[in-house]
Amino acid sequence: MKVLYCGQAAYRYLPSDFAQRYDSVVTTPYLDLVEGPKIYESLHSHVEELLLAARSGFDGVMVTEHSQTSYDLSPNPNLIASILAHTTQVEQLDTAITVLGRSLGKSREPLRIAEEYAMLDALSGGRLIAGLPVGLSYDANQNGGIPPIETRARYREGRALLEKAWSATEPFAWNGKYSRYPIVNIWPRPLQQPHPPFWIPGSGSPGTLSEILGHDEVFTYLSHFGPKLTGPRIFNRFWDMAEEMGRDRNPYRLAFMQVVCVGESDAEAERLYGEHIQTHFRNSFGSVPQSGFSLPGYTDIRGVEAILKDHGDMGIAGRLREISFRELVDTRAAIVGGPETVREQIAEFVKEFRIGNLLVMLHGGSMPHELARYNIGLFASEVLPHLQGIWDDEDWDHHWWPTGIGAQTPEGSAAAV
Amino acid sequence: MHAEVAGGAREEVRSVWNDELEIHVQVAGSGPPLVFLHAAGGLRWGEFLDRLAESYTVYAPQLPGTHPSDQHAIHKVETFADLLLMYEELVHALGVAGAPVIGESFGGMIAADLSAHFPSLFSKLVLLAPAGLWLDDHPPRVFELTAAKPEEVPAYLFANPDSDVAKAFFALPEDPELIPGIVAALVWAQGCSGKFLWPFPDQGGAKRLHRVTAPTLIVFGSEDRVMPAVYGEEYARRIAGSRLEIIEDCGHIPHVEELERTLELVSSFLSA
Repeated sequence: MKVLYCGQAAYRYLPSDFAQRYDSVVTTPYLDLVEGPKIYESLHSHVEELLLAARSGFDGVMVTEHSQTSYDLSPNPNLIASILAHTTQVEQLDTAITVLGRSLGKSREPLRIAEEYAMLDALSGGRLIAGLPVGLSYDANQNGGIPPIETRARYREGRALLEKAWSATEPFAWNGKYSRYPIVNIWPRPLQQPHPPFWIPGSGSPGTLSEILGHDEVFTYLSHFGPKLTGPRIFNRFWDMAEEMGRDRNPYRLAFMQVVCVGESDAEAERLYGEHIQTHFRNSFGSVPQSGFSLPGYTDIRGVEAILKDHGDMGIAGRLREISFRELVDTRAAIVGGPETVREQIAEFVKEFRIGNLLVMLHGGSMPHELARYNIGLFASEVLPHLQGIWDDEDWDHHWWPTGIGAQTPEGSAAAV
Repeated sequence: MHAEVAGGAREEVRSVWNDELEIHVQVAGSGPPLVFLHAAGGLRWGEFLDRLAESYTVYAPQLPGTHPSDQHAIHKVETFADLLLMYEELVHALGVAGAPVIGESFGGMIAADLSAHFPSLFSKLVLLAPAGLWLDDHPPRVFELTAAKPEEVPAYLFANPDSDVAKAFFALPEDPELIPGIVAALVWAQGCSGKFLWPFPDQGGAKRLHRVTAPTLIVFGSEDRVMPAVYGEEYARRIAGSRLEIIEDCGHIPHVEELERTLELVSSFLSA
């Protein structure tokens, strides 16, 4: 199994009553809540933690995109990814650089995304995983100003442009509905051929799963809603659909994000991390207004009706603003414990649902940098080695892993070209 | 008792846009024709239209995408300019060119810009709390309304959200099985209208309103919390010879919250 470190750049110094008083996105009052040096510290620590993970043997590092968001200071994750690409290259670390990802549904410059990803792939010697999310509704529609009903169509057109820009043999004109470029001929192009692997984040709706499986890409389930509740529904739906569509049971087609906190013992882990994990969930997704996940038109009418009839995919979403640590642990929204507990709970989960790529979130919310370093270190030494061998016995090829990995030379990768 | 979302006595369908699209029109009444353009939440055939139908044949088109027969029709309407042309084609296809038009909110934005593009299309123009203009100092709260929690919506739309008429407006059917379909249709209608209202309910109509020659009545509620009543003055300023009427203690839906007063103003204007 591939284990990647997932980092989000939270502002770490929010007041204790934040979730009661504010939303975490769009309208969060910056000047009331933020001090300059603490913004620096939050971002700097985020980068240091990502690098520590890369240096500690994680298979990959991952960043995400959110504009106007207090729990992820990352309007353009490619800026952070470029630091990671260069540093890991110089230190000869064979780490996948995952951007999950620039939003083609939100962007008014889709060609820019194709160009930036190409730069990252080149800078890293072909180690980029290209995440292609549609874009969360609040981010694309409120922050980005895109009419909700156009979000998916813009995404599809942007994807078609990106794929053509990376593969066309000659310059071409692009007279699209949503973007128009008289001559497309990008420099650079990605090193990986035919393109970096595509990982697609989604909430698990049948429509999205069918598209992802149809294109033979990695479904990336970034769940904050209690995987014990939502996981079985989503993953069973995924594998049933895979079978219907004639796709094999290769676990590497599935990626899943999990918040994890490791301590010397279960009790010690709870003592160290409990408060921070609670505020993390309350202050991040918990404080996104419900409407922000789907403004009118963002979800097709059939999808809206389905959700109204059956809320099961939403898990603890409605309660997140006041959620307790206990319930987060019970629903496995967070795995918190000593090394043995963590190893067991993760292994059980990933084996049951055939997860081949695990994205671990080891920092959240108010967690101080030193505690995050401790968590990363303990996870890397006591948990990581036990997980990376999962699936070795089934002998699958990972078709969605950067080809620049394992091709490092002192001068940078030539193998991926 | 939940009002029929779209409940004319009969339905007509016309093909427009080189036969690429069908538009459904709810029709009722007898007398000279009158066109009604609905708001962002889709067509609701209530008492206002029933009363007008006593003296007029009311034609109420349903925005592409808001009729159950083809909810994806909205994807065929690429721009607001295209929508205006489609509606102009529809009016001719129905044989009602020269009729008066009443537009509420989003429908008012369409009616006003249709009258600017095609000054002789309608004989008279009635705008009920119309969207379509933008003043930095008095931003419309359409954006906030779309993101509002359900329990906050009545206070946005009504001056008196606890009144009987407001409660009736938001009443859901007794049978819970019907609710997901109705709510989904409402949300989707907002999504379809949102194609032209997002991120601002402003398609540049201000530049074109000088072209309107049809006699125009503008009606606003004094307590409109979505389109502040100051937009009435702005519309009146830009449409020569127009008349502005402000209804006191009334919110964003005058023809529901203050039915009699609105009917009085509209009927006398139309028959003048």
